[in-house]
Amino acid sequence: MYLAIVLLPLLGAILGAVIALAGARARFPGAEPSDDHHAPHADHGAHAAQAHADGGQDDHHGPVEPAAAGSRATEIITTSLLMIACVLAWIAFWKVGFGHQDERVRLFTWMISADLKVDWALRIDTLTAVMLVVVTTVSALVHLYSIGYMAEDPYRPRFFAYLSLFTFAMLALVTADNLAQMFFGWEGVGLASYLLIGFWYHKPEANAAAIKAFVVNRVGDFGFALGIFGVFMMTSSIDFDTIFAAAPSLTGKTIDFFGWRADALTLICLLLFMGAMGKSAQFLLHTWLPDAMEGPTPVSALIHAATMVTAGVFMVARLSPLFELAPNAAAFVTLIGATTAFFAATVGLVQNDIKRIVAYSTCSQLGYMFVAMGVGAYSVGMFHLFTHAFFKALLFLGSGSVIMAMHHEQDIRNMGGLRKKIPFTYWCMVIGTLALTGFPLTAGYFSKDAIIEAAYSGRNPFAIYAFVMTVIAAFMTAFYSWRLIYKTFHGAPHDQRHYDAAHESPLVILIPLGVLAVGSLGAGFAFKEFFAGHEVEHFFRESLKQGHIIDEMHHVPFIVAWLPTVMLALGWGLAAYMYLLHPEIAPRLARQHDALYRFLLNKWYVDELYNLIFVRPALWFGRVFWKGGDGYIIDGFGPDGVSARVLDITRNIVRLQTGYLYHYAFAMLIGAAALITWFMFSGAGVH
Amino acid sequence: MSELLQDYLPLVIFIAIAMGLGLALLVAPFLVAYKSPDPEKLSAYECGFNAFDDARMKFDVRFYLVAILFIIFDLEVAFLFPWAIVYGHLGVYGFWSMMVFLGVLTIGFIYEWKKGALEWD
Amino acid sequence: MNAVPLSSMTQVLPEIVLAIGGMALLMFGAYRDRVDNAVCVLSVLLLAAAGVTVTIIPNGNVFGTSFILDDYARFLKILAYLGSAFAIVMSLNYQTLEKQRTFEYPILILLSTVGMGMLISAGDLIALYLGLELMSLALYVVAASNRDSLQSTEAGLKYFVLGALSSGMLLYGCSLIYGFTGNVSFNGIAKASSQGGLGLIFGLVFLFAGFCFKVSAVPFHMWTPDVYEGAPTPVTAFFAAAPKIAAMAIFARATISAFPGITHQWQQIVVFVSIASMALGAFAAIGQTNIKRLMAYSSIGHMGFALVGLAAGTPEGVQGVLVYMSIYLAMTVGTFAVILSMRRSEGMVEKISDLSGLSRSNPGLAFFLALLLFSLAGIPPLAGFFAKYYVFLGAMKAGLYGLAVIGVLASVVGAYYYLLIVKIMYFDEPAKDFNPVPGELKAVLGVAGLFNLLYFVYPAPLIGAAGIAAKSLF
Repeated sequence: MYLAIVLLPLLGAILGAVIALAGARARFPGAEPSDDHHAPHADHGAHAAQAHADGGQDDHHGPVEPAAAGSRATEIITTSLLMIACVLAWIAFWKVGFGHQDERVRLFTWMISADLKVDWALRIDTLTAVMLVVVTTVSALVHLYSIGYMAEDPYRPRFFAYLSLFTFAMLALVTADNLAQMFFGWEGVGLASYLLIGFWYHKPEANAAAIKAFVVNRVGDFGFALGIFGVFMMTSSIDFDTIFAAAPSLTGKTIDFFGWRADALTLICLLLFMGAMGKSAQFLLHTWLPDAMEGPTPVSALIHAATMVTAGVFMVARLSPLFELAPNAAAFVTLIGATTAFFAATVGLVQNDIKRIVAYSTCSQLGYMFVAMGVGAYSVGMFHLFTHAFFKALLFLGSGSVIMAMHHEQDIRNMGGLRKKIPFTYWCMVIGTLALTGFPLTAGYFSKDAIIEAAYSGRNPFAIYAFVMTVIAAFMTAFYSWRLIYKTFHGAPHDQRHYDAAHESPLVILIPLGVLAVGSLGAGFAFKEFFAGHEVEHFFRESLKQGHIIDEMHHVPFIVAWLPTVMLALGWGLAAYMYLLHPEIAPRLARQHDALYRFLLNKWYVDELYNLIFVRPALWFGRVFWKGGDGYIIDGFGPDGVSARVLDITRNIVRLQTGYLYHYAFAMLIGAAALITWFMFSGAGVH
Repeated sequence: MSELLQDYLPLVIFIAIAMGLGLALLVAPFLVAYKSPDPEKLSAYECGFNAFDDARMKFDVRFYLVAILFIIFDLEVAFLFPWAIVYGHLGVYGFWSMMVFLGVLTIGFIYEWKKGALEWD
Repeated sequence: MNAVPLSSMTQVLPEIVLAIGGMALLMFGAYRDRVDNAVCVLSVLLLAAAGVTVTIIPNGNVFGTSFILDDYARFLKILAYLGSAFAIVMSLNYQTLEKQRTFEYPILILLSTVGMGMLISAGDLIALYLGLELMSLALYVVAASNRDSLQSTEAGLKYFVLGALSSGMLLYGCSLIYGFTGNVSFNGIAKASSQGGLGLIFGLVFLFAGFCFKVSAVPFHMWTPDVYEGAPTPVTAFFAAAPKIAAMAIFARATISAFPGITHQWQQIVVFVSIASMALGAFAAIGQTNIKRLMAYSSIGHMGFALVGLAAGTPEGVQGVLVYMSIYLAMTVGTFAVILSMRRSEGMVEKISDLSGLSRSNPGLAFFLALLLFSLAGIPPLAGFFAKYYVFLGAMKAGLYGLAVIGVLASVVGAYYYLLIVKIMYFDEPAKDFNPVPGELKAVLGVAGLFNLLYFVYPAPLIGAAGIAAKSLF
């Protein structure tokens, strides 16, 4: 069964890829696909009919061309395979989480190299089961949603193949039984993310965003890989069980790291966390996530909100026995998490692109999760991961629905008053927002408040910092979330033409929204005891390290427990005041605090800073080595220089061949005379 | 080396005498002969007429052909004379050698005849 | 009297067959009204007969030591006959289409081949000169055989004038050698030359000037590009193959058998000429746009490579030269078969750019030409690689490491222009199609191409024969 969960998406991906390749071959017989192709117009009528049958969207963007052959088949195959995997995952969740049937399915030996022995095994415990549920559920819903959202895209087989490939990689990641397996899944999701961000490869921004995501992730992966090497160096194994067993004996050991005798566990954990920072878009390595919104919206929902970006959180949770033993590293995790939560929230305040707001919100919420991880409340972090998956996917998919309704308008300044036009989407968005901002009894209320409480009762040096930051961030979350809602759905429409054409999305889109809305409302209440309450130890057992913090956080002062809710009320109120009642305040405020506004609008100038510190010098170095080193020195004195000299010689020799008889005769005589002279002066012949 | 050069001494003397004689004969008329030029004497004439045009005109290429063919057979005869003189000493081998030579020439002659090289028009 | 029995002239039989046959064909042609392929076919048969004859008659000398038939001569004569026969076969279609059919053409080649036979077997300076002139006179005429073409007549005239100059140099060298050694026979010179002397060296230089002219080695190569380009293409194909073999044969024979006493001196000349030829062949060919002219420089370069073997002055070196000339023959003949196939409806074309995209319009032809060019460039496992390998091996064994290294470098530069043609054929946009390739060219191309391709499978016969031939010189 577990194998089926992992492999069904792979099967879907392979089938989809085959269909996509066959379709590509049929479409471009004997030629490479170019990005400016236009469809043969004979097919146009058929295509239009099909598009309407698919869901009635018209004037979708993109080149008008017929869908690839087998699009519908691919959709059905991948989606239904994912549905099956999802059902199986819930069964597994039930069995493992409540039936306490942990399992380890050893499949085959992957590689053996001296001491390194890597098996391919599925590690099924509660932590994995939670992730399985999250991944398969969101993925299945996103597949379903994409049928509607991508209805007019001509390359659907490729899209669905990528989606399924991503799901497979993510499942491989969460079922990993050792670090190598995890790294496989880690890179697999990175690849799928790259492919999906750049799915519309004829858009230069999409390509740039895909490359940026890939490159920034490489920075993190570098640390992750070094961390794995460090683990192997210290324990001679990368198998989780062995590592965890060996971990306590490692305390106090040191590693020579560039002449710096670092505490082994701290160093390893920091390196591993560096990987998590990249993948989960934490502060300093977060820059790729907002840009990744260039990808199709379902991708943003699946990869860049619900699943892949939480891989870092999952990794820290999975390696919690290590982090537990490295308090300095844990403190650093707290610091980064809190900073990210605050930073992303501030940036989210002023963004205007609907997807970017949600993206910064994601970034911020990931920060929350790391705060929980850092202070040792791993199960709480996982809880937030779990609930966040629902409401953030809901928000993204809802945004997608809005974007579709607005004909690919993403700027909330051009929206407004959509409440009446797309009521279902509106209510789903409201539910998502309530959950996100932690409205009492919604999913976010339980998980987020638990994190804030955990931060308050945390023991590490940055716990209080984290507490303050998360509380402020909670206020800002409420503000920007409701700002989004008000600017989008309330008030007067800003773009009458788009407003008039706006329409509710088809059923395949609304169903996932509905399911996720139910999840957003109920997931917190249903599972709070298992993730953050008294059932934690029974539920997670050995899969997570559990400290006393869960107990302690139940005994926080009353004021702390209610602080987040107060923040929500304040933020909501302010948003309502500024955007609902007095819409003229916001621009005035922006003008008054121009510097601050610009600072936030430009995301703290992090991108510009990186550009200055890394990108420009790197490009400069590259140019120096390219032009000077390779071009001038190596090429100039190597191949180019030699070939140029050869051509010079050729030119001169060819010039000798004048065609005049007397020149030829002269050359012969000169030749003979030269030889004679040589022998006369060398005296070779005289004995 | 000097011995070798001494062997060539008669040759040098021969060349010197030949050149001296030739030069002497060329120069002598200018020094010795009686000269009284007048315009009529100095003008060119052909058979009592003034020259019709330049003497350095193009020749028909057929003259060259005839000249070359003439040279071949001229040389044949030039070979035949010494051969005939020493014929008595040469024997059968010498006889047949010359016959082969003549045979080859004959084949060439037949060829040029058939190709029309001997016809002026 | 000193009658010479006819039976003692067995060794000249191939030349007699060719000479008498040639004259008979001349009569046959002259008395025949129709003009067709008969004379050509009969000429090829005559060459075949001469080839058979030369393989079955025993070794021996005729006219004293003037005419030598040994394994060396036998090997090279067969090569020369092959070259001549290929040249005649390849001219069949050309002559028909260019309306240049003259029955004299194959006969002139036959007579030239008689001269080559004489040259290859020459055992003294007189026979050498006779053979050389007999060969060359016919060559001068065929070079100008297209009398209506300015280029062709210019080529013939240039070749004749420069050839006469080189003959003069050669004769002058001969007379110097005779003057300083008192001998014309190679054996006699070898005996007398051991004490050396500047005069003898001077003679040697002029003698070599004549040889170098015939093999078109630098600096006596200047005629080659003009004559190759100007002469009708089948004639160029002939020039590139058979006369080169004969001239290289006498070069090696005279050098090895007449001047063993002054090896050090002639080695210097050969090394210089070899390096200069390899370098010039490699560099100058790059600038060419006409494929015949390119082949001229290519042949200059190849003669330089062959001379590397001669420079060694050892049996291995000479063996290398013989192997080189054999493979060179195959490569050249094949390449010219392709050049002769470069014909469109409006006539022959000879620009390299006309070959562009040949791989698409005529994949077979392109494949074979690419094969031959790779072989000419010396890329393993094709025959051209082994040709270079043996001469370099010979040079290395003789201690001429510098020469071998320069040779390898030159072959790298040379590879450029061969591969450039391959690139043009395979990666450029197709030019207009060529007319269908006539059968006899296909056959020649097939034989040459397969020889180059499959030589490495069973190289022993050629290597063995060349080894035996080379030993007979020492």
